[in-house]
Amino acid sequence: MDAAIKTKQGLHKSKGGLIRSFVRTENGIIKDISISGDFFLFPEDAFFKMIQELKGIPARREDIERKIQEVYIDENIQSPGTFPADFAESIMKALEG
Amino acid sequence: MEEWRFIDFGLVDIRDMMAMDEAILKGDEGNTFFFWTPKKSIILGYFQKADIELNLAHCKDYTITRRISGGGIAFSDDRCRQINYGVVGVIDNDRFALDIIESYKQICGVLIDTLIDYGLNAAFRPINDVIVDNKKISGNAQTRWEGKLLQNGTLLLDFDIEEMLRISNIPKEKFMDKKIASVREGLTWLDRELGEQIDMEEIRNVMKRKFEERFNVRLKPGTLSKKEKELTKSLLPKYYSDEWTYL
Repeated sequence: MDAAIKTKQGLHKSKGGLIRSFVRTENGIIKDISISGDFFLFPEDAFFKMIQELKGIPARREDIERKIQEVYIDENIQSPGTFPADFAESIMKALEG
Repeated sequence: MEEWRFIDFGLVDIRDMMAMDEAILKGDEGNTFFFWTPKKSIILGYFQKADIELNLAHCKDYTITRRISGGGIAFSDDRCRQINYGVVGVIDNDRFALDIIESYKQICGVLIDTLIDYGLNAAFRPINDVIVDNKKISGNAQTRWEGKLLQNGTLLLDFDIEEMLRISNIPKEKFMDKKIASVREGLTWLDRELGEQIDMEEIRNVMKRKFEERFNVRLKPGTLSKKEKELTKSLLPKYYSDEWTYL
């Protein structure tokens, strides 16, 4: 997913930056997702893996946050001031419309 | 005394500069401190999408690219009154800390020492800002690669807030947790704080001296190595491409 998806923007400010999410679902499953923001996340490429991993999972907060946490552990992600729950919050705001 | 390389790139196209920036990080020339002055331009943070963050209809006469570090847009107008710096350093847990925020704090200390030298009440605001009386005067962005860090930042000498608001889509939420009502109250710049325009070269020289003192090194003027120049050449197509910029 490259260009932003023109759905409602879910906007959440973590201590580390602004997270803007756009999500498209089908039958309660995340089909497409795009996130833009001024946060920091190391290693940077792991962010795109996280986005890929979110596609195809149920559009529920607990599933989203668990998946993000898994990627954080697998990829040894550090994101000062931004936590998996912050990404989940931004995504939920997009879903809740 | 240990010597680190120093380069002043002068007035540059940001696409060329971002290629050189990455080449210095991925080259093998040791710790380096450098300055540049961007032509009219916008640099997006690594995770920022141009069509979300910018009002592209208002950006037509700006050169736009993206950088390899996170953080927010770096905008510079025709006046070019900002000092941009870069640091590449080996993370040795002494001068460059493994802890991300500590390493920001250490490098931002050069800016803080400089501003204090001009009599201003400058401080570090985690994660990556330098503030004067709670107003942001410098934004900084760091990335890491194979045990080294690259930090870029800008010290605002003059700044056109209205133009920045015109070209970008900054939502009010951006400033909500910083106890300020709007971007207008959250930013400042050196000319405003001092009530006069200081020569840029003079400020750069103070920064260089503060850098040498803080890191206990001597800065030795240098240039890009042959390998860095080749690496830069190979990176240029990326920074000039729409695929990279318009993520």
